[in-house]
Amino acid sequence: MRIRNICFGSQLIVLVPLFFLFIPFSKSFAGSETPPDRKPSVMITPDKQFNYAENLFSNNDYSTAAMEYKRFIYFFPEDKRVERAMYQTGLSYYHQGDFKAAVDSFQKLVDEYADTDYAIKSYFKISEVYMKLKALDSAIINLNNLIVVTHDRDVRDEAYYRLGWIYLEMASWEKGRQYFSKISDKNKDKYRLEKLAAELEKEKLIPQKNPKLAGFLSVIPGAGYLYTERYRDALIAFLINGALIYAAYESFDSENPALGGLLAFVGVGFYAGNIYGAVTSAHKYNRKKTGLFLERLKDNVKINLSADVKNKGVCLSFQFVF
Amino acid sequence: MKKRLGFIFCCVILNVSWSNASAQQEINLADNPKLSHEAEEKQGSLLLYPFKLYRDYISSADGDRCPMYPTCSQYCMDAIKKHGPLTGWIMCSDRLMRCGRDETHLSAPVWINGEKHTYDPVSNNDFWRQ
Repeated sequence: MRIRNICFGSQLIVLVPLFFLFIPFSKSFAGSETPPDRKPSVMITPDKQFNYAENLFSNNDYSTAAMEYKRFIYFFPEDKRVERAMYQTGLSYYHQGDFKAAVDSFQKLVDEYADTDYAIKSYFKISEVYMKLKALDSAIINLNNLIVVTHDRDVRDEAYYRLGWIYLEMASWEKGRQYFSKISDKNKDKYRLEKLAAELEKEKLIPQKNPKLAGFLSVIPGAGYLYTERYRDALIAFLINGALIYAAYESFDSENPALGGLLAFVGVGFYAGNIYGAVTSAHKYNRKKTGLFLERLKDNVKINLSADVKNKGVCLSFQFVF
Repeated sequence: MKKRLGFIFCCVILNVSWSNASAQQEINLADNPKLSHEAEEKQGSLLLYPFKLYRDYISSADGDRCPMYPTCSQYCMDAIKKHGPLTGWIMCSDRLMRCGRDETHLSAPVWINGEKHTYDPVSNNDFWRQ
């Protein structure tokens, strides 16, 4: 044990001076190296980062653009363009078709900046996304929130105009009219409300079929389909139901209750199907006619709104279909 | 004659009550997602068995000629899954009567494997109930 300690001590005595001996030597070695060429490092400035993101966006590379806008927001949170970057992030997601992420981005902007131009634009974009997703109720809630938040009469009018159109999409003509009537006098011409009101009056002329009447008429198989202008369906419904009822009757009459029961079971399904189909056909007919009317109305009087934040105005475009 | 009419009446009542009972079971089990899912699968597989049988053994041999999309068998399965046996069966009967007739020029066309079909999913026929 003692011998081992002596050996270890002697090794330590040798190694420690050696270590100190090599320190200056190694330093001189490191110092003797030619200094590495200092390559000019890329300094990302807010301008460069923002312009890069803008460039990606204008080249329709929306997924990368969204990422770069986010990078800009993260690294330069004090920059005055952060709000625009947030809006552009949402817009990038919107163009990509990632509507959920778009709503989240716009909502974040709206939460942070209450009544700024971009926040207002975000409100409108959120409602557009909801319209695309057919979540009309959410679009209505969003626009009503904007009406509460904003103090700008023009913005409020635009929100009323959009709300009116959402209600028209839902075929709630009266609600639509109500919202259009809330638009201030100064903007009535801008939104062509006089023309819109006149066209909207034609809503009463949309041909409609009464679903209840269609269902009632289907007591006679096929009559409901006939009422909804589905002549071939009417004939088939009449023939199939007639045949099944007759076959079931004959089966029971010829002492064959098992077959009769089976035919009756199938027949009841087809008879009920004939009623259900007639009611659905009436609804489909109404939906189609209403849709056609709305399409024409949009083509003739709807103004395509595109809020321009810088100029604080609206870009109008309209056409008329004869 | 009275007996016969009684038999038909019983058939209808049995059919309706069985369908309602099945639908009720579905509602009650909805509280427990696991049980609900199992029951739904079991019920679904039993009710949909004739359609699967038709698709696997008859339609595959006979050839797929339904001009609608989804096909009538698929439509019936979807309707039963979505609305339960009673309404599903009614919607199925309605679809069989409409298949390939007026619907082909009233609904939107859709191209499947280069062939023109008429797009008529369940959602096109139950939208007014929602």
